[in-house]
Amino acid sequence: MKTDAAAANPPRPLSPRVRSALIAGALVVVAITGLLIYALATGPRGPAPRQEAGALPATRADSYVLDDAGPGAPTLVEFMDFECEACGAFYPVVEQIREQYAGQINYVIRYFPIESHANAMNAALAVEAAAQQGQVEDMYHRMFQTQAEWGEQQTSQADLFRSFAEDLGLDLAAYDDAVADPATQERVQQDLDDGQALGVQGTPTFFLDGQRLELSSVSDLTDALDRALDESGGA
Amino acid sequence: MTAVAATPDTVLFEPRTAERRRAVALAALAAVGLAAAFALLLERFAVLEDPTHVPSCTLNPILSCTSVMTSEQASVFGFPNPLIGIVGFTVVLTAAAGMLSGARFGEWYWLALQAGVTFGVVFVHWLAFQSLYRIGALCPYCLVVWAVMIPLFLSVTLRNLQRWQLSLTRPARAALAVAVDYRSTILTAWYLTIALLALQRFWFYWSTLLP
Repeated sequence: MKTDAAAANPPRPLSPRVRSALIAGALVVVAITGLLIYALATGPRGPAPRQEAGALPATRADSYVLDDAGPGAPTLVEFMDFECEACGAFYPVVEQIREQYAGQINYVIRYFPIESHANAMNAALAVEAAAQQGQVEDMYHRMFQTQAEWGEQQTSQADLFRSFAEDLGLDLAAYDDAVADPATQERVQQDLDDGQALGVQGTPTFFLDGQRLELSSVSDLTDALDRALDESGGA
Repeated sequence: MTAVAATPDTVLFEPRTAERRRAVALAALAAVGLAAAFALLLERFAVLEDPTHVPSCTLNPILSCTSVMTSEQASVFGFPNPLIGIVGFTVVLTAAAGMLSGARFGEWYWLALQAGVTFGVVFVHWLAFQSLYRIGALCPYCLVVWAVMIPLFLSVTLRNLQRWQLSLTRPARAALAVAVDYRSTILTAWYLTIALLALQRFWFYWSTLLP
């Protein structure tokens, strides 16, 4: 009786469509699981950097302070990638702001070269090498003023950057040594790591007195600066 | 009951419901592709008018239309790529709407569609390679186009191969029957491959988004 019923009603095989959907679902599950395991194994980013004593907010003692109005003044920090177009677009705006608020704010630049920009690291190394000869600001200007000439290219622009160093009258032997020195790259990497730990996700990212600014217009930046100046005693 | 069951050798003419379903899928995919190509072209115009304009699809350094749109690869044939999409997807959408209203297209028409979707799928994969490994950014509207181009290609190709299967060898026909049955698996595996490549390529960035 039992066998008769089984024979009369054999378990229906799954239709190929259903089977295909199940396999597809399984593939997705396997992929996501693998990804999660990989993500957990490689670990999230490190802990937030400690604020160094004596350094301005969201900077280190060795960060480059282009405008120094003293520790009491509001501090604007920009994480930048010299190849990033948005940074290039912000450059004239920032220059205008620096002029407008000259003597009232601190302006600090920090490196945030993004890996997908082939020359972002080369440019950062060139700026850092120039910085070691006290010409960080000149090289910073040069990079953004010439960005359209060298940006978005896959070939190394290190020779062009070296010619900038030559134009600026740097000691080229020292410049070459600095570019080749792993310590220079570590210095850039340190900014990059700090930026990631501070939650920088793209460039340019601005911090005002340690607080990340969400900008949708230039006036957001000036408004934030005005507020900070009011709070610090209306300089 | 089993007498009418389709074996690989007998599926020459599909039931009308299957044809309809395909037409609906083609129309939906083409409409989505058209919308994405159109949006991309509008953003392209906006950037031309105002170079500082940040497109709606530029979200972060990796998901960025700007880097992709301003690349050389964005106008390989000397004009912006989205124009190809606007024309191509419109053709497919119109054809699919025609099918839904009862039109039957000649086999030469399907052959032309095959040529179109084959070009499209090859082009999209070339762009995907460029985007991942040369430009180093992903443009969300482009991703939409990639995502619709693959099922569009699968759907048209499987339809045509089924229709022309008498000229295929027996093993090829058997493989085709499996491919038709397991097309959702094929599509998923295809998507996953590209998604994993994109994850791997930009892992340094995605990992910064982890809590």
